[in-house]
Amino acid sequence: MSLLELPSARDENWRWSDLSALPAILDRQPSGTVPEALPWIECTREGPRLLFVDGKLAAERSNLGTVEIGMVDADPADHALAKQIGREGWRLRLAQDHAPQGLVQIIHVSTGAADHLPAQIELDVDAQASVVETYVGEGWINRLAQIRLFKGARLMLSRRLLGAGGYVSITDRASVGEGASLTVTTLAAGGGDTRLDGRIVLAGLGAFAEAGGALLGRTKQRHDANLVIRHEQPSGMSRQVWRSVADQQATCSVAARVEVARGAQKTDGVQSLKGLLLARTASINAKPELEIFADDVKCAHGATVGELDRNALFYLASRGVPQPEAQALLTQAFVTDAIERIGEEAVREAFHANAVTWLGAA
Amino acid sequence: MLEIQNLHAEIEGKPILKGLSLSLGAGEIHAIMGPNGAGKSTLGYVLGGRPGYEVTEGSVAFDGRDLLDMEPDERAAAGIFLGFQYPVEIPGVSNVQFLRTALNAQRRARGEAELSAGDFLRLARDQGDKLGVSMDMMKRPVNVGFSGGEKKRNEMVQMGIINPRLAVLDETDSGLDIDALRVVGDGINRIMRAPDKAVLLITHYQRLLEIVEPDHVHVLAGGRIVRSGGPELAVELERDGYANIAEEMAA
Ligand SMILES: Nc1ncnc2c1ncn2[C@@H]1O[C@H](COP(=O)(O)OP(=O)(O)OP(=O)(O)O)[C@@H](O)[C@H]1O
Ligand SMILES: [Mg+2]
Repeated sequence: MSLLELPSARDENWRWSDLSALPAILDRQPSGTVPEALPWIECTREGPRLLFVDGKLAAERSNLGTVEIGMVDADPADHALAKQIGREGWRLRLAQDHAPQGLVQIIHVSTGAADHLPAQIELDVDAQASVVETYVGEGWINRLAQIRLFKGARLMLSRRLLGAGGYVSITDRASVGEGASLTVTTLAAGGGDTRLDGRIVLAGLGAFAEAGGALLGRTKQRHDANLVIRHEQPSGMSRQVWRSVADQQATCSVAARVEVARGAQKTDGVQSLKGLLLARTASINAKPELEIFADDVKCAHGATVGELDRNALFYLASRGVPQPEAQALLTQAFVTDAIERIGEEAVREAFHANAVTWLGAA
Repeated sequence: MLEIQNLHAEIEGKPILKGLSLSLGAGEIHAIMGPNGAGKSTLGYVLGGRPGYEVTEGSVAFDGRDLLDMEPDERAAAGIFLGFQYPVEIPGVSNVQFLRTALNAQRRARGEAELSAGDFLRLARDQGDKLGVSMDMMKRPVNVGFSGGEKKRNEMVQMGIINPRLAVLDETDSGLDIDALRVVGDGINRIMRAPDKAVLLITHYQRLLEIVEPDHVHVLAGGRIVRSGGPELAVELERDGYANIAEEMAA
């Protein structure tokens, strides 16, 4: 018996999601079997490594470093999935001018059931952090992240969803202070369904936020991203760069909104939502939205959905590249824009490799 | 090496090639000239196997194999190279990546070992140098932002790296300045003049043929080869145009 109240498909924010598999997963028992090899990223500056299995820290395979386990201050009551999430989770809190540390890596493994876990990232003045989260497994991984960046802080948050099946839902609530910078990049390159929700508030003068990624879907997969970036103060800058690829009967949807509050002059916003259909039976939804209450702003937005360029395909074929490889190469080029945003080379290359693996697995 | 017999082909139901026959032996260079819209590029695309170009009659044999039965990438692996009249831009894919993927795919198809990254880069640098294409350009996305002449030079770099047995070059000389024409012409001679190779050179101008001297010159008009001759035919066409040919055809 589950107590999950799902939003109806008539709810505008949920119309592209299919949550019908979730109640059954809630009732499932986890197998508890964790793979021996986990996709840690080798990098020059090693930092904390956390492994969560079905939402619980596997302490013997983790190295907490600066990360703590404890109560997270978040109130997701207004979100249908995030409100399932309790209060105990992981926290990364770095004090003012905290010396740079290595890459924070977190792997979430689901062994078949549902698990819910909150996170809190709080960077004080001028602190910097780079966090990579990797999601693998088969169940429902439900996450909530409360992010707060104080003046001049910088956070690079990169997530890759590689699970063979199941469901991953991630809800972000972020506030970005004066001159602070937040970059969230998500790659969905597994076999499961995805729901991403984000609300980022640029709360300080000259704040910067970027939320984007690549959603790759085939079979009957559904990826659905719903993002709002709100400019509350002047001179902020935001970027939403999304690349969706849908094959077979998959559906990829991105709804991205930029809100510019009264007084948030000199806002500079860019939205680039592009979709690539690899089959006529697949679907892509792209919904860029602007809500502007200031007069001196620059907001560019574009949404396009297309197919692979036939001329390029024949050009590649004429040089000896077989059709599936040519398709993969062009598709890889298409998603590059979204993955290029990742700062660390090791992370970027790992994400590229995951995308290439996904594309080659057709 | 290449035996085309009574080739008929159409695009979207519209007949373009109407009984074209042509035979190329190993070690030979043939030039094809002819008025705009005659079907020259169509011939190149049909040989390359471009989707949408439907062969309704006739046959093409390459080294005795039925070419029309092969996929475009198989034709390339068999040794056919198509130099495009309008080389295609591919944003997000570098020249180096494009060519390495292509060369290794061909080598795999032929059962040869793939080239390592280092060996490939040496080959690319060497071929680029010979055609005045810098390594910087080799690292840029395929043909994106290249000038018309740079694109054609890039086609020749590709040909040098791939080292085909038969090259079908569609107006490789158009868009080239005088110096580049010399560089490209010398490149064709260097890469393709060999006893076991052949070239089908589609061009509108005599100038390239002064550098790459053809053994045979053909006129393609109305979807067929209407005249064939030696190099002097190109000189005659340059002087008189296609008016005489039109009369011959009407007669
Ligand atoms: N997609 C198409 N649909 C219909 N007709 C086409 C298509 N592509 C080419 N054609 C026609 O086929 C004919 C032959 O074209 P082709 O490009 O082979 O000529 P060409 O001899 O190469 O000319 P040029 O010297 O101008 O390059 C032309 O009449 C052209 O309009
Ligand atoms: Mg042409």
